[in-house]
Order: sequence, then structure tokens, then C-alpha cells
Amino acid sequence: MDLTWYALLGLFFASYLVLAGYDYGVGLLLARGGAPAGRRAALTALGPFFLGNEVWLVAAVGILFGAFPVLEGELLAGCYPAVAGALVGVILVTAGVQLRSRPSDERVRARWDRVIVVGSALAALGWGVVLAALLQGVPRQADGHVAGVSHLATPFAAIVGLTMVALVAVHGATFLTLRLPVDAAAVAGRTARRLVPVALCAVAAATVVGLLSSRVRDAVQRPAVGVLLPVLLVAALLAARAALARRRPGWALIATGAALALPVALVGAALWPYVLVSTADPGASLTVADAAASAPTLRLLGWVALPLLPALLGFQAMCWWVFRGRTEGRAPVYW
Amino acid sequence: MDTLLLARLQFATTTSIHFLFVVVTLGLVTLLVGMQTAWVLTGNPKWERLTRFWGQLYVINYVLGIATGIVMEFQFGLNWSGLSRYVGNVFGAPLAIETLVAFFLESTFLGMWIFGWHRLRKGAHLALLWGVALTAYASAFWIMVANSWLQHPVGYEVRDGIAHLTDFGALLTNPSLGMAFGHVVSAGLLVGGMLMAAVSAWHLIRRTPDFALFRTSLRIGLVTAALAITMVQGFGFAQFGPVGSVQPTKFGGDSPEARALIAEWTTRFGPGDYTPPVLSSVGLGFMILIGFTLGCVWLLLPLLFRDWIIRLRFPLWLVLLAVPLPFVAVILGWIAREVGRQPWVAYGLLPTDQAVSPVGAPVMLASLIGFSLLLGTLAVTNWVLLARHAGRGAADPALGRPPAAPGEPAHPEPALA
Repeated sequence: MDLTWYALLGLFFASYLVLAGYDYGVGLLLARGGAPAGRRAALTALGPFFLGNEVWLVAAVGILFGAFPVLEGELLAGCYPAVAGALVGVILVTAGVQLRSRPSDERVRARWDRVIVVGSALAALGWGVVLAALLQGVPRQADGHVAGVSHLATPFAAIVGLTMVALVAVHGATFLTLRLPVDAAAVAGRTARRLVPVALCAVAAATVVGLLSSRVRDAVQRPAVGVLLPVLLVAALLAARAALARRRPGWALIATGAALALPVALVGAALWPYVLVSTADPGASLTVADAAASAPTLRLLGWVALPLLPALLGFQAMCWWVFRGRTEGRAPVYW
Repeated sequence: MDTLLLARLQFATTTSIHFLFVVVTLGLVTLLVGMQTAWVLTGNPKWERLTRFWGQLYVINYVLGIATGIVMEFQFGLNWSGLSRYVGNVFGAPLAIETLVAFFLESTFLGMWIFGWHRLRKGAHLALLWGVALTAYASAFWIMVANSWLQHPVGYEVRDGIAHLTDFGALLTNPSLGMAFGHVVSAGLLVGGMLMAAVSAWHLIRRTPDFALFRTSLRIGLVTAALAITMVQGFGFAQFGPVGSVQPTKFGGDSPEARALIAEWTTRFGPGDYTPPVLSSVGLGFMILIGFTLGCVWLLLPLLFRDWIIRLRFPLWLVLLAVPLPFVAVILGWIAREVGRQPWVAYGLLPTDQAVSPVGAPVMLASLIGFSLLLGTLAVTNWVLLARHAGRGAADPALGRPPAAPGEPAHPEPALA
């Protein structure tokens, strides 16, 4: 039962990174400046999906609280600055996208666009650091609490955070290639292809730093899975580049999406059966089974939530289907 | 300043700001459902315009409200990790159900509703708004289930110092739940009705165009507010019985039950101050005063006859000036409920000081200042935007604006500008 919920937690968090990932990616690309119409068009491409993307994060944390309460408290409080930073980023993006078009002065709008850029970068950085913190272990003491927050300040956490920013940027550019009108999509496609080498370099750097870090080597329980992660990331990025070159943006988006979902799945697998590996006291490492809520709670959640899962996925799919295809200049825009 | 105080201040700030958004959302969505249903049933374009105008205000409030809600959710793990550690098995379940069953769908539906005008069939589009409203109420229900459990923990047993769920039904029949849920939902309706009446009153005072439109929404708003204030009062006073019996220390005073309970806690948890701060009862008194004042809405209803309310004009001013009152009242109400639970996180089960996360005071202080500034800015922005868009009138509410006809230039401005 706890494995099912652990998989669901991973599914929701990975879906959040994939879906909100292109929100943040598009947000980051606003940093290029460019004509106001172009920035407006990029946000219009997000349009109908924007609200439905962020809910995956809220649901993931809901599952974390309901099904893994011990993990929820220790992970969030133990990674306080990273989580709070990501949260500020999420809020800035949510508010910025909604507010940027309220004033009619283009200079004010450009300022709001910078808020969106900063928010997107913070969100990607923050979640990257949280994933890195899982991979490099946390100083969980015998009393069950994670001591301090200075354990986050490592080169590995920094480079993984930056890698997440790069992956999100590639993903956002690929999304625009799929969604924008044909002319603008060609420009976005070139940007995406130019960003792929940047992301590849970031993945390579993170791999090297990770291999050199004794904390990461000690924390990873399955080295094979740990090595598989960067290999698959590189493969996904190369596949995305190839698909972009062949003008298949749909496949490219699937590949860049995989590059954001894979880290969640493989971090979970690499640490199994643990979820928090303690660097301070091996006996204080937290297994998935210990982190899970007790059986009656999981049973209840199973009865209430699992039958609804098809409805949740179905309505999201309905949203993608209704608003599929490229945007065109006619429809009223919102953001 | 210690971590505990900072964490409590942050919870109070975040919750209060979040709730200001929540009541508007709950109230307006209910009224929107009525208006759009009337439009689909009658085909009268007046209802479409009303839906678009009030829908705009609703959407602004909703999207900014999400941001405050996300902070609420994360705050439990960030600042109150003891809560998830000791009682997470029970308290976490309704919150998890809320996110999955209610909020997830609510936002997905709303995204489709905003962008679905002229794209979906009328019936499907209306169904989406019903979906938004029903999930909004479901959301409120599950949050109240979780909160009521903190007020009066039930359906659990403690093993090895950790609470385990034994009877989920007990959470749903919690004596501190039923009347409180009714009270909160009616408060949302009251706020929605008052807001609608006040914005309409402003337009009628200024004699802006669209007299007929704002006359209608004034009437809807006032009748809603009148019915809602009566329900608020009813559910409110009905709470004193059940809440007083399960939380004898809540409303101050020195009853024998409270003394017995404090004596029991002193033997189990050691000596300490087990009475809640006076602040909660003072707030409660003011809230009740405001509640009685707002009851005077009933006196305005006869003036709806032959539009006397509009012809006399001064009742419109009263409606306009009264609009802050329900907001003050809902905050005071929550202060009474939450501060009245002190010094417990889960009443009689988990003391507040054991639930706070073991993070350093500097981190907590930075978090308090950062998030308070951020959320405060959002709240102010929300009200400025609502006022601006409300003042702009219903001439061409851009939400649901039809797409440009072929050959005409596309709309240069965003739908909500």
C-alpha cells in the first residue's frame, strides 16, 4: 500500500515538474525581452493550461501530507530555504502572469515580466535543490529531526538547481514551438535547439560534481540507477534536439517532459528503500515504509481518492484536448 | 523573539489574508452559478453580461487567492512539522482529500471556464461553472473537517505517542464541524452578497450607464446578504452549545467543566496556563456586534419596492459604506475560533509548542517577513484591481468577449484589461 502511494506521490510531483515546467520555461524566456507582442503571445500560449498545471503541486503536497506525514514535516522543514524559495517563485509566477497585462503602460508590463522571470528561476532552482538534497542525504538526527539548513549549501545542490533551470528553459521553448503560430514557432524552435547544449553541459557538470561528492555516493543506495539518471537525461535531451530538427515539436515536448519527469522517478528508485538518507546517523535514515501514514489512513485515502483518479486525469486531458493546436491571433487573450 | 511566536504570527497572518480571498470566492461563485444558469435557461442577454462582469471580479480574486492558499498548505510542513509527525495520520487525511477531490478539479474546471467562452457549447460551459462551485464547497467542507479535528480531536487512538486513525466517520460527525461549516459558508454568501450590492450601489450613485443591470445585481446582492446574515447568525449561535461542551475553555469564563479539564491537563501535561488569551473573546464580542449591525440589511429590503432604495439614494450609501464590516467580522470569527484553541494545536492532545518545527529563529523571522510582505502585497493588489475593474463598469467586460470576426483586427487588448 505504501509503495502505491509513493508511486502516486512521484507521479503527481513529476507531472507538476513537467506541466508547470513549461510555465516556468516560458516565463524564463521572457527574459529575452523582445517585442511586447511576442511576450504576450508566449503567455497566451500558456493560457488555458496555466491554472490546471499548478494544481499538481498542491495535490502532490496533499498526498505528501496525507500519506507520508513524517516525510512531509522533515522534508519541508529540513529544506526550509529551498522550499520557501520555490514557493516564493511559484507565487511570483502565479501573480505575475495574472497581473502583467492589467496596466496598459508597456514599461510597467515589462517590469511585471521581470517578476515572472525571477519567479520562474526561483521555482526551478528551489525544486532542483530539493531533489539534490534528497540525493545527497540530510543530517537527520536520532530524534528524527533534520538539524539546521546549512546542509543545503553544497556545490552539488547549486549545480542541480541550475540544471533544473536549464531543463525548464529547454522545455518551455519546446512548448512554444508546439503552440505558437507557425512563424513564431520557428524562432522558438531555434531557441530550443540552442538551449539543448546548455542543458547537456549542466547535466554533465551535475554528474561530475555528484560523482565527486562523497555525500551523494554514500546516500545513493543503487549506484546503477544513480548512473542511469544522467544517461537517460542526456538521451532525452538528444532526442528532443533531433525531433526539433525534424520539425516534430510534439515528440520534442515529450522528450523534454521526460527529462523533467525522469529525475523524480530515478531519485526515488536510487534511494529506495529509503526516502531520507541521514548523513549524521545511519540509523536515523527514514525508509518509505516508516515515512508512510499508518494502514487505516492509507486505506481510507485509497477508498476516497483512488476511484477519483481517472476523473482527475480525465478532466485534465479534456482541457488539453479542448485547447489543443496552435494559438492564432483571433481568440481573446487573457494573460 | 522565539521560533514559536514567529511561527504563530505567520500562521495568523497567512490564514487571515487567505480567508479574505476565500469568502469572496465562495460567495461570488454561488451567485455566478445562479446568473449563468439563468442565462442558459432564459437566453436573456442581461444574464450573460452579469455573468461576464461578476465573473471577471471572481477570476481576479481566485487567481490571487490560489497564491495565498499554496502558502497555507506548505506552512504545515515548513513551520509545524510536529503537527504532521504526531497527528499527521489523522489530520493529514482530510487535507489530502481536499487537494485531490476538490481543489485539483476546481482549478482545472476554472481554467476551462475562463477560456471556454464561445468555444464550448453553452451547456458544457455552464457545467464547468457548476463544477467549480461544487468543488469550492467540497474544498471548504474538507478544510473545516481538518480544522474541526484540531478543535476537537476524535476518531483516533494514540500508540507510541502518535495518533492513528480509528474512525473516519467520527471526523465527519464531529460536534465542532456541522454548525461551523454552515457558519463559514453563510459568511461567504454574506460577503458575496454585500460586495455585489455595494459595487452596484456605487454605479447607481454615480448614475453610470447600465441602470437596469446594476439594479438587478443590487437586488440579488441585498436579498442574498439578508438571507445569508440570518443564516450566519443562526449557525453562529447554534455553535455555542456544541463548541462549549467540547471546548469548555474556549469562551473564557470560569465554568466547572473548564476547571475540571484544566485540572486534568495539569496532571497529564504538567502545570501551565491553559486558558486562551483574552483576545479571542474580545474579538468574538465585536464580531457579534457586527453581525447584529448587518442584520439591518433586512430593513432595506422593503425599499426594493418600486426602487425606493435607489430613489432615496442614502440607503445606497449605507450599503457602500458597510462593505468592510463583513470582512472584519470573518477575521474576528477566525481569531475567536483559532486563538480560543490555545495553547493547543490539537485541543487537549498536542500543545502548540510541541508542534513547531525545530528551525532557527532567524530562518523563521525571514520567512515571516518575506511571506507577510508578499501576501500583504497580493491582498492590496487584489483590492485595487477589484475596485478598478468594478469601477470600469459592465460596458464590455472582457471575460467572455466574443472572438474577432474574420476580416476584423483581433482584439489588441487582453480579455481582462
